[in-house]
Amino acid sequence: MILQIISAFFATFFFAILFNVSKKELGYCGLVGSLGWLIYLFIFKWTDSVIFSNFISALSISIISRILAKLRKMPITIFLIPGIIPLVPGAGMYKTMYAVLNQNFKEAAFYGAQTFEIAGAIAIAIIFISSFDTLSHKKTK
Amino acid sequence: MDHKLLLNFAMQAGEIMLRSGAETYRVEDTIMRILSVYDFESIEVFVTPTGIIATIDDKNIEMTTKLKRINSRTIRLDKVALVNDLSRKYVLGKISLQDAIEELKKIDKISPYQPLILISVTGLTSAFFTIVFGGNYKDFLISLSIGIILGIIQRLFINLQLSRFLADMLGGFLVGFLALLLTSIIPSTNFDNIIIGSIMPMVPGVAITNAIRDTIEGNLLSGISRGVEAFFVAISIATGVAIALKVWLPF
Repeated sequence: MILQIISAFFATFFFAILFNVSKKELGYCGLVGSLGWLIYLFIFKWTDSVIFSNFISALSISIISRILAKLRKMPITIFLIPGIIPLVPGAGMYKTMYAVLNQNFKEAAFYGAQTFEIAGAIAIAIIFISSFDTLSHKKTK
Repeated sequence: MDHKLLLNFAMQAGEIMLRSGAETYRVEDTIMRILSVYDFESIEVFVTPTGIIATIDDKNIEMTTKLKRINSRTIRLDKVALVNDLSRKYVLGKISLQDAIEELKKIDKISPYQPLILISVTGLTSAFFTIVFGGNYKDFLISLSIGIILGIIQRLFINLQLSRFLADMLGGFLVGFLALLLTSIIPSTNFDNIIIGSIMPMVPGVAITNAIRDTIEGNLLSGISRGVEAFFVAISIATGVAIALKVWLPF
């Protein structure tokens, strides 16, 4: 489990380079990614619900990114985009496709629905935090 | 005060941000704030992922409108951050318009990471994600080599100016095929973990995040188009991997 969290740090760190994030911010991107994954694993162990773990993890990633954006005076997306990547349901998509390929439509429907639910949970988490954002910058105008 | 110069500066700042992968609402906001430095009677800005229109009008000047079409987009989050910072400095009056224009030209010329770095980073991203999703050290090494090959192929596709969707489909096929080939040669490896980890560098992270953020900010048009982009990229990758599996599995 510790190995996974350390790997999440490096995976997010290197992913941020692919998107040309400047050198100074790479470490913070990695931090967001590994904290997000730590929270995901922790909540998953506790509740055993994939959707809920994704939701709480995405929520935490958004909050951490928001704080970092304020501290580092950077657009929030610099941290949010790489940080959210480990949660993207690539595995769900792959399993759905694999089941379709094997004509196992019951499994395909299950994984397909789960993939959409995860994507929805992540979207709602980001929307939740971004809405507070909108509120605060409307006030300053 | 030269209002055309100001409009040009605002549009150029917006253009660089939009080309580099900023959210549409951020581009709109930036242009709006730069133009608001002077009290024009009316300022209208309209941005979509493929173009920018801005109009300013006042009693003393001719109404001026500028339209800029955006054709190519590359992800340069460093530039988004720098232009964002520059526009803030300008709006707060910390920098003159002339200096800001010079600064903007410099930002536009900043080069991305070297291709060699990007290729090795593609490999490392694939490899570490394989561990994150539960792979062992052998899976790690296989993903590393697949990722590096993927990185080289992606550079090639960019030089050939291949469409994004075709490139991702071929990338998915390559990942699937190599994963199946290498796991059949090397024992105690798992092709599921390797495939899931290795497709990660192709994941449309910017499109997904920006689709959500643009929608919540009321930029519905951009939200939908980025969402569709993300969806089709995902389908392209899955199709590529599926073709590889279909070709391989009967053997």
